[in-house]
Amino acid sequence: MTQHEGITRRGLLGMVGTAAAAATVPLGGGSAAAQPDTGEVTVRMTVNGTATSLTADPRVTLLDAVRERLGLTGTKKGCDRGQCGACTVHVDGRRVVSCLTLLATLDGASVTTIEGLADGDRPHPLQRAFVDQDGLQCGFCTPGQIMSAAAVIAEGRARTDDEIREQMSGNICRCSAYPGILAAIRQARTEMR
Amino acid sequence: MRSYAFERPGTVTDAVRRAGSGSAFLAGGTTLVDLMKLEVMTPDRVLDINRLPLRGLDTTGGGLRIGALERMSDVAADPRVRRAYPVLGQALDLSASGQLRTMASIGGNLLQRTRCGYFRDVSTPCNKRLPGSGCPAIGGENRTHAVLGASGSCAATHPSDLAVALVALDAKVRLQGREGARTVDLRDFYLLPGDTPHLEHDLRPGELVTEVVVPALPWARRSTYVKIRDRRSFEFALSSAAVAVRLDGDTIVEARVAVGGMGTRPWRLTAVERALVGRRATEETYVAAAATAVEGTRPLRHNAYKPELMKRTLVRALLELEQTR
Amino acid sequence: MTTSPIGRIGRETDRVDGPLKAAGGARYAADHQPEGLLHAHLVQATVGRGSVRRVDVSRAEAAPGVVAVFTPFRPLPLNPPSPQQSGENYSALQDTAVRFRGQVIGLVVADTPERARDAAALVSADYAVTPSRTSLADGSPGVAQGVVQKLADGVPSIDAALAASPVTVTTSVSQHAQHHIAMEPHATTAVWVDDHLTVYTGAQAPQRAAATIAARLGVDPAKVRVLCRYTGGGFGQRSPVWNEALLCAAAARALGRPVKVVLSREQVFTAIGHRGAVRQTIRLGADTDGRLLALSHESDGELPAAGGWQMMPGRDTSAVMYRTPNIRIDQRLVTLDTPPTWSMRAPAEAPGMFALETAMDELSVRTGVDPVELRLRNHATEDPVEGRPFSSKHLEECYRVGAERFGWSGRRARPRSRTDGDWLVGTGMASAIYPAWRQSATARVRFGDDGRVTVSSATSDLGTGSFTVLAVVGADELGVPVGSVDAEVGDSALPPGGVGAYGSSVTTSTVPAVQAACRAAVEALVRAAVENPRSPFAGLDPAAVRYRRGRVEARGRSVDFRTLLHAMGVPLVEAVGATDPNTTSPYRFHCFGAHFCEVRVHRLTGEPRVARFTSVFDVGRVVNAKAARSQLRGSIIWGVGHALLEADPIEPDGRFAAATMADYLVPVHADTPEIDVHWLDHPDPHISEFGARGLGEIGLVSVAAAIGNAVFDATGTRVHDLPITLDKLL
Repeated sequence: MTQHEGITRRGLLGMVGTAAAAATVPLGGGSAAAQPDTGEVTVRMTVNGTATSLTADPRVTLLDAVRERLGLTGTKKGCDRGQCGACTVHVDGRRVVSCLTLLATLDGASVTTIEGLADGDRPHPLQRAFVDQDGLQCGFCTPGQIMSAAAVIAEGRARTDDEIREQMSGNICRCSAYPGILAAIRQARTEMR
Repeated sequence: MRSYAFERPGTVTDAVRRAGSGSAFLAGGTTLVDLMKLEVMTPDRVLDINRLPLRGLDTTGGGLRIGALERMSDVAADPRVRRAYPVLGQALDLSASGQLRTMASIGGNLLQRTRCGYFRDVSTPCNKRLPGSGCPAIGGENRTHAVLGASGSCAATHPSDLAVALVALDAKVRLQGREGARTVDLRDFYLLPGDTPHLEHDLRPGELVTEVVVPALPWARRSTYVKIRDRRSFEFALSSAAVAVRLDGDTIVEARVAVGGMGTRPWRLTAVERALVGRRATEETYVAAAATAVEGTRPLRHNAYKPELMKRTLVRALLELEQTR
Repeated sequence: MTTSPIGRIGRETDRVDGPLKAAGGARYAADHQPEGLLHAHLVQATVGRGSVRRVDVSRAEAAPGVVAVFTPFRPLPLNPPSPQQSGENYSALQDTAVRFRGQVIGLVVADTPERARDAAALVSADYAVTPSRTSLADGSPGVAQGVVQKLADGVPSIDAALAASPVTVTTSVSQHAQHHIAMEPHATTAVWVDDHLTVYTGAQAPQRAAATIAARLGVDPAKVRVLCRYTGGGFGQRSPVWNEALLCAAAARALGRPVKVVLSREQVFTAIGHRGAVRQTIRLGADTDGRLLALSHESDGELPAAGGWQMMPGRDTSAVMYRTPNIRIDQRLVTLDTPPTWSMRAPAEAPGMFALETAMDELSVRTGVDPVELRLRNHATEDPVEGRPFSSKHLEECYRVGAERFGWSGRRARPRSRTDGDWLVGTGMASAIYPAWRQSATARVRFGDDGRVTVSSATSDLGTGSFTVLAVVGADELGVPVGSVDAEVGDSALPPGGVGAYGSSVTTSTVPAVQAACRAAVEALVRAAVENPRSPFAGLDPAAVRYRRGRVEARGRSVDFRTLLHAMGVPLVEAVGATDPNTTSPYRFHCFGAHFCEVRVHRLTGEPRVARFTSVFDVGRVVNAKAARSQLRGSIIWGVGHALLEADPIEPDGRFAAATMADYLVPVHADTPEIDVHWLDHPDPHISEFGARGLGEIGLVSVAAAIGNAVFDATGTRVHDLPITLDKLL
């Protein structure tokens, strides 16, 4: 049910097809229109810079697709209801909760997860800043925090502490590392300029 | 989640033609996907309308037209919206979370379902979800429930902040159905629960919200939205107020007032507007006018604080508006 | 230790697990995807009490991808829990009884997570329903469990002592059930290879979890391994093994394939324990200068019929906090048909100290004695019941430093007297106390021929910084850079004797073990160096050989351990260190603190907002300033939730009314005040040579009281029933 084209990123290949029974992947159809005989939908998208084609039940969310089909488990399921932000990724550069995003809607989209944020071996400034400022404890919400923060900075909505606090309020950290997260965003904001 | 067929109509006409009983339009997905997972909504066909040309903001000829598929965050950030209708921008900014605002469409926001915990829990009865099954909220945990418009069948509040602001601005929605297009005042679009709380909108089967139309209201440049909640962010309103006031010197000559978190639908308060007009813009005036807001409120066991909170939210909103003078 | 040339102790050290977590590479329980994995989803009871008469699994079994459906009528065999262990007192699916709403009554296994979830929704059950007992108020007073009493000579009763007091204060407070909301929902991946079981599951005590799983599944404990290198928060919730993990392992055994169970967020609220609801009454008797003459602390806590953690909120609070000649602690439990309770961060101390410190504030108001001065007047140098001295107590310094950093002096004790625009401004303070606990512990230290040191202990890092504590202490003790030390936790296969990560005890207990292991490893390295014929030090007297900063030295020759191991042809040299607490110590071990805060309440709409917090702690020695600060600040934000947000009322049929993350509100980023945390540098000489007393929970204790006291100062309204929400302040 799943297929990658030209995946080079380590960690992806090993997981392909483990979560779902193997099946033939129709590569010809680029449309996300329903396929009446199987009910499955084929989606071609770019994930962390790599062209990817997935055929799946239309109920599959982007979150379950990246975790269970692509083996990208950095994106976390904290609530599956859009109430915690742990699953935040970028779709076409915009921050979304992947738990409420249906894979089927993403034909042609470009998706970036935490695994795709670094520049090769060089961590993203936010990834460094979260460590420098201790913006994490258990680390479970951290990928979502960092993906949100990257978008918030890019949107120009990280101008003041209060603005950061408000804009980052969709990402719950129960360890409550919020002061460190705030400091990390301040630090990275300067570096990302 | 129940299984469904996924379809992507190519045009609005196609979308409307395909729609019918058992289908659901999918825009941002923040309501539909959530409720499908909870099996509160169980469509057998999901129609992905995201690629339909229902985008754009248009201010030509005064007023504001918002494509139903515009995303909340984009509308909130638009300088034309912020300048001409601050109340809209603020209501959007105070909604949900950054991610959800990025995803959710304007049309979907207006059609979002109540946050009543019983509605969202299929292991409990709910007249809105399962007509005739009963309403545990009326005798149960109802701190967040409605004090305006509730019936013996349902006391669920409407959760949208945007809708409160739009109702204050006399906005309309454009609807496209198989028989053609029509325009409905947003105030009339939302139905009172009565004994049919499962019927929430004046929306015919298959009809699609295509556009929101906000009439020109130059003095809405002085408008504001105040939202009161337990948590500082990422929470639905316990109480909210959308207010706009036109002054002549110190005298109020026109006013628009609506409240959220209080009613089973966004609640326009024309009595408060009348009580404001012709009076001086002072706290005493606001307090006296806000007092008329609580007429007809019917508190339940745990939400008896709401009428008082509504009055105070109104006074606060009017005072905060004064500071923008 | 502190004199070591590397000297990392107490300084700012980056979390060693930080880079991997920030990269998204840390694998949590649900991130493991073994070959042939099946996915399971729980089915829960939808009635509050009674029995399951029938379960219809036909639709679920017919659903695509479904492999098996287990129910009480088709159970997975599990042994009952040991009666000695607290926690749930039954095993899921072993009988048809329904003890609470949300009890597990089924497990659906399928080929994908979505199919398991969707098929679980197709399972329906018929019940015979009996009425539930769910009201703590109706069930109070409960059954007395722990009465502590000390009366002065000639005083017949606490009531008599109170009656004879010139000033008395009675304060009754309550709080609803609360939830841990660790960000990682409970998840288990179970893999059997032959008769060996590997369980990936977040466990605060990996070795205890492995032993429990072995006992409940009836297998040899030596053949069960629990792995939880990364765990998404614990807060107490992951100290026992819950039914989800047991059923997962049992299903994997029954089906002969790996099985993963991931609870939905909603399921975590009921299938996993919560902090029980509790009602408390404090009665204080004092002289007109505020000196305590009598203290009574009564509590009625929720105790589920299905078992759980017993709420004893007076024992480690009122029974030790202040000097008073007459004291009575009466802790009662009320049996209810609610989901299991469990220990949640500062489990009894957070509610207990909310009660006591609210009452103390009321005494301050009654007597006109400044809250800080009142506490100084009642300062205890020994515990008021047993008369045992504290091992190391610098609470007075906490008050003084805290008051100064906060700007407490000159506070006007006149409620509703300060405003800033439309906001009423108030300040409040409270004392904090939390028991320090040292357990027996073991650690292993290994010199590797790759030049790296590995420090291991079978405890768990829940975000608490234990990885880094191990690395820092190991590096410090061995005189090597932190960057050359690898830390290992979260594996039950590590040497026996790892401590459970609860009770703020990991650092207190494990640091001495790491130090002992370091010394033993050095000894082993030196011994190998003189005994191994290929060693440059072969044949020397061990006393002539010394270890210094990662090098072995003798007779003017100095070789780093990597080179030495290579020369000897030995891949590694390691040793285990085990240490025990002094069980005959005459001292009481407690951590202390003082909180000061400013709260703003809107004059019209009443919402309380915490503006700033200053807290000073006396916790003994701190290993890593960076992580300590983060953990203390996080605890204070927890306290904001305790005070203002967190409550899950239980309905008459046993349903939690707020069992979602949208309804059960925890603080978000915008709720965070400016926080100034500070700790005193007083290593505790009696708890260990190192002197750490632990700081994972003390930060939360009394935060709610400080906030409530500030709300009173701002508004003149005293809210006794948590949370302090705007509707109570209109």
